[in-house]
Amino acid sequence: MTNIEKQHIIYSNKLAGEFYFISILQEAHSCGLLNKSDIENIQLQCIDLLAYKSERYNMGDSSSIRIDTAESLMKSILYTIGIYLKSIPNRDKALSELITVKIADLYERGIELVNVKFKAARRFYNMAKKNKLDTLNYSYNFTLNENGIGVFFKEYNSEFEAHDIPANIDYQLCNTVENLTGIEYIQTYLFHLYLENEFCRNFAPENIHKLLYGYDKDYAELLINIFEQVLTAALGCALANTNIRELYLSKKDVQYLYRKLVAYDNKELIIALNIAMKSIFEELNIIEHSLKDYIERSLTKIASNIEIALKLNTLDKVFIRPVDPNLVPKIYFESSAKMDDKEYRSLIEELLNCRYSSDKLKIIKEKVNSFDDLDDLLLDTRLEEEECISLFNTLGDIEIAALLKRHPFESDIKAVDLPEEERAVSLYLENYIKGLPVVRQEEIKKIADGIEGF
Amino acid sequence: MNLSSSLIEKHAVDEIVKCNDITLKFGLSLTLQEAMELVKTRTLSLKCNGRIEFGGGVIGKIIKEFCDSPYIYKANYVETLNELIEIFYYYKNETLDLISDNELIAFMKNAFDGKCQGSLELLYGRELEKLAHNLRYGYGANYSEYADCEEENDDDQY
Repeated sequence: MTNIEKQHIIYSNKLAGEFYFISILQEAHSCGLLNKSDIENIQLQCIDLLAYKSERYNMGDSSSIRIDTAESLMKSILYTIGIYLKSIPNRDKALSELITVKIADLYERGIELVNVKFKAARRFYNMAKKNKLDTLNYSYNFTLNENGIGVFFKEYNSEFEAHDIPANIDYQLCNTVENLTGIEYIQTYLFHLYLENEFCRNFAPENIHKLLYGYDKDYAELLINIFEQVLTAALGCALANTNIRELYLSKKDVQYLYRKLVAYDNKELIIALNIAMKSIFEELNIIEHSLKDYIERSLTKIASNIEIALKLNTLDKVFIRPVDPNLVPKIYFESSAKMDDKEYRSLIEELLNCRYSSDKLKIIKEKVNSFDDLDDLLLDTRLEEEECISLFNTLGDIEIAALLKRHPFESDIKAVDLPEEERAVSLYLENYIKGLPVVRQEEIKKIADGIEGF
Repeated sequence: MNLSSSLIEKHAVDEIVKCNDITLKFGLSLTLQEAMELVKTRTLSLKCNGRIEFGGGVIGKIIKEFCDSPYIYKANYVETLNELIEIFYYYKNETLDLISDNELIAFMKNAFDGKCQGSLELLYGRELEKLAHNLRYGYGANYSEYADCEEENDDDQY
């Protein structure tokens, strides 16, 4: 006779991780394991507990509370009991405890567990801070600091708001924490973050920086997951037989990967990624089981990204080519000396009194010799869009790029803070550049990106 | 899980009826029907004001506090209690829960027997309004910005 597995009456896949207590009650009721009087008895005990909690919440000053506060207290009670019931491995035994043990006692046991988990979460937090990555990414750094997830350890109230997550968490993990809330969420989030850090620490921060810079030069401000990018690059290196630790894939490597992977179906791709993953484990000497499991779980997401990229022929967006920001050519733009204030004032007066656009352009061309003066003049003379465009037509690519660097295209929300004149110049410039041939547009943007110290 | 309101109400009615032991010496008592009516008033007031309460709680306290009032007698007992309950919950919200049940009830009793001379309209529209205003603006419960004027007016009247 082969393995005999005990059959449970309540199926675990029908139980919600977030609202475990409620779901076990619902399941038990629908299976006929709890009758109406059992449910009523549990409800009554919960109400008694809520009454006691609301009294403690009001510190005995008030017998009534606002409904939203009562709901929150009840959620906290149910969540805490759920934590205890979840800790019982046998679901049928959990149900029998629910019937035989007083709700107040189950709650007390739940509170004890919540406190244990709180201590464990704090430990994970310290571990994650200890193996924190040296990166410029803002959301990562902010989430890990005292004002991010650190707030949780000051604000968490296990007695009245055990189900709540009072923390600022911007950084998204590769494997999103689902179906959990309160202390369970934080504990899992921090443990996963620790694992992600642990993996990324196998690579030099410089290599990660180049990889992320290749992904987007503004990666510091993006809500990206560092681990996912690093793991994908490492898998790419393993598949292309290049040095995993370098995280470097050339254009040829990506082309090779395309030719190799495009022939695979989903199963073959997963197998190939699994083999690559094992070679990463060997190369980086990864032996910790939890880290191995976490990486394995991440493969599904990466495989799906690769599949989509293969279909769209955009594999270079998945397997990123690292870029060394120090090697990107830089342009140092220096404006010549500005005219003196008196002269500038009279020029502006002249331009404001001038009726014809052609005359305005002529005056500007004759009298303005410095880029800084030109920039000031655009803001001070409030030229019409057509006049601005005529003026832009007289400028070369470098000047346009310098103007673009100084007045970048902002989204409507960001532009709200800008003065009206600046918004207008930015808009006219955007319209002008959009009207240029694509090749010239790209050339201007490239120059603007390379301009330094401006 | 929905809170079973019928269970809460039954529990509350029992507690209210028990108060008769104290109020009987003032010639006041409530029938089971009247107790249920008070609980209904409470339920409605709680609902209107977005609050929830457990047990007899406040009704029992109001009964015990007001039963010795010279302005309450058998004929107006139930009606006054109903109104006091409504007023209490309304001002519990208006005072932003900054005052405890006992303090609010004591203030109501003091004002009802004193300045309002048994008038529920004055209690609701003047004294408690003043109290809520004071608490919201961080003054003491008995603060009055027109204290001087009031005194002068009082002098004029007599």
